[in-house]
Amino acid sequence: MTEKPKIGVYVCHCGINISATVDVETVADYALKLPNVEVARTYSYMCSDPGQSLIKNDIREHGLNRVIVASCSPRMHEPTFRKAIKEAGINPYYLEMANIREQCSWVHHDIDEGTAKSKKLVAASVAKVRLLEALESKEVDAEPSALVIGAGIAGIQAALDIADAGFKVYLVEKTPSVGGRMAQLDKTFPTLDCSACILTPKMVDCASHPNIELLSYSEVEEIGGYIGNFDIKVRKKARYVDFDKCTGCGDCAAECRVKDRFPSEFDMGMGKRSAVYLPFPQAVPAKYTIDPESCLYLTKGKCGKGPKCAEVCQAGAINFDQVDETVEFRVGAVIVATGFDPFDASRKPEYGYSDYPNVITGMEMERLVSASGPTGGKIKIFNGKEEIEPKEVAFIKCVGSRDESVGNEYCSRVCCMYVAKQAHLLRDKLPDANIRVYYMDVRAFGKGFEEFYDRVRRENVRYIRGNPSEIFKRGDKLVVKVEDTLTATPLEDEVDLVVLGVGLEPRADMRQTMELLRLSQSPDRFFLEAHPKLRPVDTATDGVFLAGCCQGPKDIPDTVAQAKGAASSAMIPLARGKVVISAQVATVDESTCRGCGFCVNICPYTAIELVTVNRFGHEVEVARVNEALCKGCGSCSPGCLSDSIQPKSFRDRQILPQIAALGVFK
Amino acid sequence: MDLEQLRKTAAEVVARDDVKYLIGWKKGSYGYRVAPVFVEDAAGVAELIFSPLCTANLTTYLTLVEKTPLPRGQEADKRKVALMVKGCDSRAVVQLLVEKGIHREEVIVIGCPCPGVVDQSLLVEKYGDTEEPVEVKWNGDGFMLVRGGEEIKIPRDEVLAEKCRLCRYPNPVISDHLIGAEVEKWSPAEDSGVSELDAKDVDGRWEYWEEQFNKCIRCYSCRNVCPLCYCQDCILDRLNPTWINRAVNFSENTAFNISRAFHLAGRCIECGECERVCPANIPLGKINRKMAREVREKYGFEPGLDPEAEPFQASFKPDDPEDFIL
Amino acid sequence: MSDNYEPNIVAFLCNWCSYAGADLAGTSRVQYPANIQVIRVMCSGRVNPLYVMNALQQGADGVLVSGCHPGDCHYMEGNFYARRRLGMLKDLMEFVGVDPKRFHMSWVSASEGHKWKEVVEKTVEDAREAGPFEGFRRRQIDW
Repeated sequence: MTEKPKIGVYVCHCGINISATVDVETVADYALKLPNVEVARTYSYMCSDPGQSLIKNDIREHGLNRVIVASCSPRMHEPTFRKAIKEAGINPYYLEMANIREQCSWVHHDIDEGTAKSKKLVAASVAKVRLLEALESKEVDAEPSALVIGAGIAGIQAALDIADAGFKVYLVEKTPSVGGRMAQLDKTFPTLDCSACILTPKMVDCASHPNIELLSYSEVEEIGGYIGNFDIKVRKKARYVDFDKCTGCGDCAAECRVKDRFPSEFDMGMGKRSAVYLPFPQAVPAKYTIDPESCLYLTKGKCGKGPKCAEVCQAGAINFDQVDETVEFRVGAVIVATGFDPFDASRKPEYGYSDYPNVITGMEMERLVSASGPTGGKIKIFNGKEEIEPKEVAFIKCVGSRDESVGNEYCSRVCCMYVAKQAHLLRDKLPDANIRVYYMDVRAFGKGFEEFYDRVRRENVRYIRGNPSEIFKRGDKLVVKVEDTLTATPLEDEVDLVVLGVGLEPRADMRQTMELLRLSQSPDRFFLEAHPKLRPVDTATDGVFLAGCCQGPKDIPDTVAQAKGAASSAMIPLARGKVVISAQVATVDESTCRGCGFCVNICPYTAIELVTVNRFGHEVEVARVNEALCKGCGSCSPGCLSDSIQPKSFRDRQILPQIAALGVFK
Repeated sequence: MDLEQLRKTAAEVVARDDVKYLIGWKKGSYGYRVAPVFVEDAAGVAELIFSPLCTANLTTYLTLVEKTPLPRGQEADKRKVALMVKGCDSRAVVQLLVEKGIHREEVIVIGCPCPGVVDQSLLVEKYGDTEEPVEVKWNGDGFMLVRGGEEIKIPRDEVLAEKCRLCRYPNPVISDHLIGAEVEKWSPAEDSGVSELDAKDVDGRWEYWEEQFNKCIRCYSCRNVCPLCYCQDCILDRLNPTWINRAVNFSENTAFNISRAFHLAGRCIECGECERVCPANIPLGKINRKMAREVREKYGFEPGLDPEAEPFQASFKPDDPEDFIL
Repeated sequence: MSDNYEPNIVAFLCNWCSYAGADLAGTSRVQYPANIQVIRVMCSGRVNPLYVMNALQQGADGVLVSGCHPGDCHYMEGNFYARRRLGMLKDLMEFVGVDPKRFHMSWVSASEGHKWKEVVEKTVEDAREAGPFEGFRRRQIDW
């Protein structure tokens, strides 16, 4: 910076918004006496075309290289004036604004006070603008592909949208099949269409889409890089079944020596599966997987004379020598759609979920009522003596939601409606049963929800306001102890079956995803979006987006909407093919950096790393900023004892003169 | 103190191929003086001592090692440095590890459990200075001064350094070789030696420090001796930006001392070297100990104990105190 | 201290919450004392605690630092660092004898125009009580 600063100061009247309480002419006269100020003018509206032209002409005529606009808040017009001075040929970052409207003329009545303060603010701007630096924002290429983590309905929808737009998508699913929680549901509220019927076509689509590479039974191991250029490492877990050879015939599972011995994850443990299994009949991909934790051969090293599955598989697909495989690729954007866990009802011991088999959760009810479920859709329970059809059924809502005692203050948003739906489905199957729902409130806020709730109540499902305190056994009946809070009547309600309307919780393994992607949690422990209102699908990490219940409980339409939102946001860098890297980032003076790593620790964006450099023959570590990750907050700088890391445009040497200017003119 | 064990261990250590030298204490040229010594071979270990006069924190030499430019092609000497430390000194080693000022594989720590060292100025005040060779030893609960064949018993409290009176870690918190047995901890005064000042009102404290900082000659000895002030380019030496003017006057002196104390908050391990070397006798230890106590009591953090700890100044807790916020 | 003494206050405001809150106070035409001058930074975490000392040395009688409420930081964590650092500084300065009335920190969100006014009034009032801080002023040298 050898050129001498030549500053133009432009004081705006803003009609009378400023000039009524600030003597703008006096301020301009004063500015003209400040060091390096060549021109100082006032104008009625600086932001107007003639106002901007005034500045541009002066830049050309007087060779100005710095501009100060004393007007409104920089939050309002900084971009306007940056653009203007750029058009006149000087670097847009050679601009400083003095906020003499919002923070002066509008808040102080006295014209002397307002004028005096405006002078100081202009002086501080002059002190700073002289020391500003020219900055250029950079562009880097963006990889035209995306990673979607989780292949439930959110992940499937996001992947399909991006793939349909013509970009490559890597869809990574932890379990052997796509489909997620929605595949486990029977009917969906309030329309009662069959969940599988609307989901399976999408599952098939995403497996066969030419732009989607489906990595099922796989986990993301590492994510490095930044928006436009994320480097991904995925571990494909060994299935012990050759993916290409397996035809999905199922002979292996039928002949497995431990056939149907293990609780099926898909059926919420109510059905059984073999050690080699397909999670559910419509699973995609329709490829079998050997569970290494239940397979005799893999756990004990021995399975009869030899594994039966291998013996019967005509395709010769069984391969016990298979090992985990690592795939690496690069993407421009990442969508997190890792879903939720149902609340573990055993954490409410008063409801006896762990003790009484006829206390079941909503998810279990979904499987029980499903035609493809373990009972073929028949509602049968065992009362200790015989298998019966329940006559008395109670639903309890808000189990694990709106409950500080389990650490979940939030409403899970779906339980009111799925309980209403299940009550309706039960009414269909058990026309004579007495069905009641214990509730705190009914929140039927969505499209068609209230209407559906009314319909269910008309179907002779009783809603009783009360939060049960306990469930215990009396003979072969379960007793729900509760107070009907509308009539203040304590009840001991004898029933055959209790369905707990469990809420939604963040996934138990979400910390792993958080660390991979540098994401944060909101107080409810779900992933935190970048802004609760205006950036609900973005995260603090550029290029990483959220879809579905990993961001907070939501129903299927909301999940799909968010997935589509995340997909279209993710496609912005992919479609442009470039990402802009902000110019106002931190920078390290490597010659003074002592490599203590404080800044590395502080940076919330992991934008700083220590690198080894050779300093005159000695290997020393110094901090280095990844400009693509840095957001320019500057939190690192005060933590740096040697003052080596500095945010551009807000350097110590730019701020200290501002402080001095504000003090000296007291 | 088992001098024999010390010298034997030292001899073994310096004999290793991967050791550059050992930094220890030796008798100074006269009187009570003790000097640092860099022992490069077994012949040098006979000079090593450890006595109540070994006040200096040798850890500071770890970062004072000059990394002078090397001729092209010449390799840097990457051999280890062995270092004798007392309890307080060892915390500086740990803090340096936390801050990556040194790496664990670069140092061999020879830990010396320390029953407390003497304040030489008190010794001189009470027993007079001398140019004769004298010896000061630990003796039961106190010290023993051996001068011209005469043995003088000195009660502990009479000459014990203030930092030792307040010491909470007399035994090394990190060591590769421990010399002798660990000493029994004593209970330090909880006030960190600042209750008198704390009791004053804010103007009273200002008056106190005004008098103190007016004495400051800005020699920067406190900074130079501090094991944790090791930036190659200190902000106090900078011209652009100028944090502190070079002028020696009350305003700049105060700003200098506030800046240094702030940079040490949550890092100072209370070895008291700044106070010991101050030629103007400014009680710098009071500021640093006060801050250390605040950090300990309000934030539940003590520096220099765990090499894996997150640095205090580069971390936060969501429930950090915020009662001062409007 | 003369009756017409007006303290000089320097304030550091984060761009996203407190500066926006101060702007809102303006848009809402809330009136507050003119003693305060604002320096805008991107995040309260950018405020080097030594700025506070420097401002007092260079002619401020009081200093204010304001950021987003905990958990609302635009940069997620910056205000937490600011809180720890400035809390330490406040303790240090108090111990050295700087009147705690000279330095305040606050959380003001973009919607708290009225809170901003209250914070300014409190800061100015406290600085007024503490009086001019001439003792610590940097000696200006006329070249």
